[in-house]
Amino acid sequence: MQRHFVIIFGVVLVTLTGALAKKEPGVPASMTTQKQLALVRVNVTGQSYDYFRPWQKKAPFSKRALGAVLSKGRVLVTADLVANQNYVELERAETGEKTAAKVQVIDYEANLALLEPTEKTFLDGITPLEITADTVVGDRLAAWQLEPTGALLATEGLVTTVQMTEYPIDVGEFLTYRVSIPMQYRENSYTVPLVKNNKLAGLLLRYDSRSQLLDAIPAPIITHFLKEADSQNYRGFPSAGFSFFPTRDPELREFAGEKRKGGGVYVTNVEPNTPAMKAGLQVGDIVTAVADREIDQNGNYVDPLHGKIEFTNLLTAHAYSGDVVPFRVERNGKPIQLNVTLEHRDAKDYVSPPYNLDQPPRYYVLGGLIFQELSRQYLKEWGPTWERSAPQRLVYFDRFQSELFPEGNRRVVILSQVLPADSTIGYDDLAYLTVTKVNGKEIKSLDDLAEAVKQPIDGFIKIETEEDPKQIALDAAQVATEASTLQENYGISSLQRLD
Amino acid sequence: MTRSLVFGFITLVLGSASYAQESTPAASPIEPQAPPGLATSPSAAAQAVVPVPVPIAPTKPNGPVQKSLVRITATSVEPDYKAPWNAGGLERGVGAGFVIDGNRIMTNAHIVSNSRYLTVERDGDPNKYRARVLFIAHDCDLALITVDAPNFFKNMLPLKFGGIPALESAVSAYGYPIGGERMSVTTGIVSRVDFQLYTHSSIDQHLAIQISAQINPGNSGGPVMQNGKVVGVAFQGYSGDVAQGVAYMIPTPVIHRFLKDITNGHYDKYVDLGMTYSKLQNQAQRRFLGLKDDDRGVLVDTVVAAGPSANILQPGDVLLTIDDHPIASDSNVELEGERADFQEVVERKFKGDSVKFDIWRDKQPMTVSIKLFTPWPYRIQGHSYDVRPRYVLYGGLLFQPLNLDLLEAYRPTDLRLRHFFEYFVLEQIYLDHPDVIVLTNILPDPINTYLAPYRGGIVDEINGKKIRTLDELATAFAETPERFVIRMIGDGPPLVLDRNKVEAARERIKTRYNVLKEQNLEEQPASEIAQQVKSN
Repeated sequence: MQRHFVIIFGVVLVTLTGALAKKEPGVPASMTTQKQLALVRVNVTGQSYDYFRPWQKKAPFSKRALGAVLSKGRVLVTADLVANQNYVELERAETGEKTAAKVQVIDYEANLALLEPTEKTFLDGITPLEITADTVVGDRLAAWQLEPTGALLATEGLVTTVQMTEYPIDVGEFLTYRVSIPMQYRENSYTVPLVKNNKLAGLLLRYDSRSQLLDAIPAPIITHFLKEADSQNYRGFPSAGFSFFPTRDPELREFAGEKRKGGGVYVTNVEPNTPAMKAGLQVGDIVTAVADREIDQNGNYVDPLHGKIEFTNLLTAHAYSGDVVPFRVERNGKPIQLNVTLEHRDAKDYVSPPYNLDQPPRYYVLGGLIFQELSRQYLKEWGPTWERSAPQRLVYFDRFQSELFPEGNRRVVILSQVLPADSTIGYDDLAYLTVTKVNGKEIKSLDDLAEAVKQPIDGFIKIETEEDPKQIALDAAQVATEASTLQENYGISSLQRLD
Repeated sequence: MTRSLVFGFITLVLGSASYAQESTPAASPIEPQAPPGLATSPSAAAQAVVPVPVPIAPTKPNGPVQKSLVRITATSVEPDYKAPWNAGGLERGVGAGFVIDGNRIMTNAHIVSNSRYLTVERDGDPNKYRARVLFIAHDCDLALITVDAPNFFKNMLPLKFGGIPALESAVSAYGYPIGGERMSVTTGIVSRVDFQLYTHSSIDQHLAIQISAQINPGNSGGPVMQNGKVVGVAFQGYSGDVAQGVAYMIPTPVIHRFLKDITNGHYDKYVDLGMTYSKLQNQAQRRFLGLKDDDRGVLVDTVVAAGPSANILQPGDVLLTIDDHPIASDSNVELEGERADFQEVVERKFKGDSVKFDIWRDKQPMTVSIKLFTPWPYRIQGHSYDVRPRYVLYGGLLFQPLNLDLLEAYRPTDLRLRHFFEYFVLEQIYLDHPDVIVLTNILPDPINTYLAPYRGGIVDEINGKKIRTLDELATAFAETPERFVIRMIGDGPPLVLDRNKVEAARERIKTRYNVLKEQNLEEQPASEIAQQVKSN
């Protein structure tokens, strides 16, 4: 144990001193004036979907940001900026010249997107930014912003930490640079490139003005994204599909049959239909090495550049979907090797999808009853505090979905709200009920519901719910006659969206 | 929702910081939890802020109420759920009470709950008299106490009870609220007669009468009178942030029920059907169920397996009459010319009584009879009083059964814990987990250094055996395996304890943290009050 820690410290120290010794300035003086900056302004107008009125979109928003010009006439921005966009426009900083742009590739999880100007010559004269992935703790990075005149505004900050953190779409963790930097407010500050030696080192992920700490999407993640974007079929960052726990507790180690003094993490859960399960990983296994890198008791490997980093970085930043990654596993004290073929897990593969952007929500209106599918996107409609303010029962279903619905491959259909109408008198107070059956048929998606509704029982549509009142009924004929009035009264353009 | 907004006028706790807080008129309305969707609920603030007519003077004076009123000072010990082996914190509060027949003093349960020493004072007498509790009913916030000193009751005038006062009729409230030492009288009118949550237990709902007379901390337990008779006992109100001048009293039907319940020497509590129901106001639903177009009947939703309706009622049954009173589709019945929720019929019954329902099942009429009792699973969702918290401490790990008091002590944000609490009855979680045993705290020691992440977990099994109750947990720990493998509910890792190491550490942990007792398995009475209630 003791020796182990000494080694860790050793590594960190070496990295630190190495970094400090370099003392590379963030912005060379020559850069600011002479060449054309590899920056364009990006203006985005978009509309989010209104999950409380799923047939309509919310009022338009506009965001102004900066994009980093990369090779092959592409502009890199965050996915956050262009999610739910209606129109994206690029603007040359010095001339104010504009052109429309389209989103070429977008990865919501890694929060990155590539834009392409419709006018091919638009970026002519700009030397694209190269990417540098050698940033280490102690380096200084410059945040590039633009003055209204188009002149460069550069702020220098110190990289304080390199670690795994959650990105805004909380699907797993990604490598992040944390930079201590006193950013100034300028328009177009939505996406800000971070530059080291004239090369792109990262992209602003979030900034806390109080602590003056900035989190950046680091170059290794950007490189991964770009490499895959070059292929025909963008699949996304891979995952293995298991949860783990540190093995510092000697009692737990002994229980798992682990006699060695080494490292490894205890596998607490293997999700069905994931690469980990397909490869045969089991609960109770101790994973001691991934991709031939030893893992310590906390789940960290020693990165040649950054020192201790959680091993999931080996699966996200360093590997691609389809890669076969060797896992060294101790099972009941015996070492075995498993080969895990990594896959990207799509949002639609979850029971409650973690995000749904650029796509309208599905819904079904029946009489005044509105049915929707549970998703985190729906829960996030309650705002930044959704985990506390959204209906807690639904938050519970979302959080523990793999435990509550281990078979997967389904949705949770909810009766989300009731619009007062003749057919729904007496049902006005119902909300957030989970639908189990309609007309006696099990409901595992809105498609099931749409199908079941077509077969009324003696002219009635019977809806069963998990919660009280357990059952309600509608008059099928009344629902049909009332439909047009309902649409008119509440401005519902279409009574259903199932595609 | 409104639950947290109501406060019992417990007491003028010495040092009146609480008074300042409660009386400060704050303008901030309650934040609606509902989304900006269509699902709206009436805002409590909007409802509550209604101008009150200037109180009219009582038509008749109520006589020398001073001769019936007493001032009660209670010293109580509040259990410490975070260190359950300790006695708990000492508190002192003041409330009112009034003499009724049989040398008894009626007051609120919340004044004398958890009390260890009670004194009463009366007008014009310099002495403080030691008092003791005769009966206490936490579910309806009433208690009876008495004074053993000879001649105490000699010059006191027992008060008589009246009925339910008419709306808009004038009433006077008597008590010892903040603002002075001597008896205070305030007047007002009867504003509303309705079912309300009784915040003392915070789970029971009974009839309550809202009055416009000012009542404040210290009024609790005092009589509210009309024409010389007691028409209610002042007990709770809204705090200043929500609404002003909303005060409630316990009406005489609830008082009479309490007095009748104790005639057999002990308080049996309110009985409950142990089921949930919905109104049947939707015509399509009525026709689907094959009901007549007569606006009658309510739908049975959930039947609690541990309740009296289990195996008699089924989800989907329609209740048509209760003891031959037709139940309207909005769940009301007519009782003595007044419309009231059909549960009021059950409210007036006692343990062992039966209630008869005409029901509609599978489009056929049926008659069923239900023998009433109090379903226990609801208990964890309300406050407990006069009992010591149950717990097991093993290897520095503190295990406690989930209940409202525990939640309020720890205020966990854990979603699973809150779900288990909220749905304990409705999802019948108690069938598998009569006790939801939570690892609430860890007293640090070398043997549990790495166990912090397990905090907040719910115990599922030990060494492969399901653990359903705290007793089973204690029994499991009393066995002598090499190690204990504790599985928590969910996907987490097992918690592993080496028994020999724990045994070696037991004394050390007890001494270091001054733990007097490693476990308490019985909800044993914490004070003389409950003991007396039991022995009676």
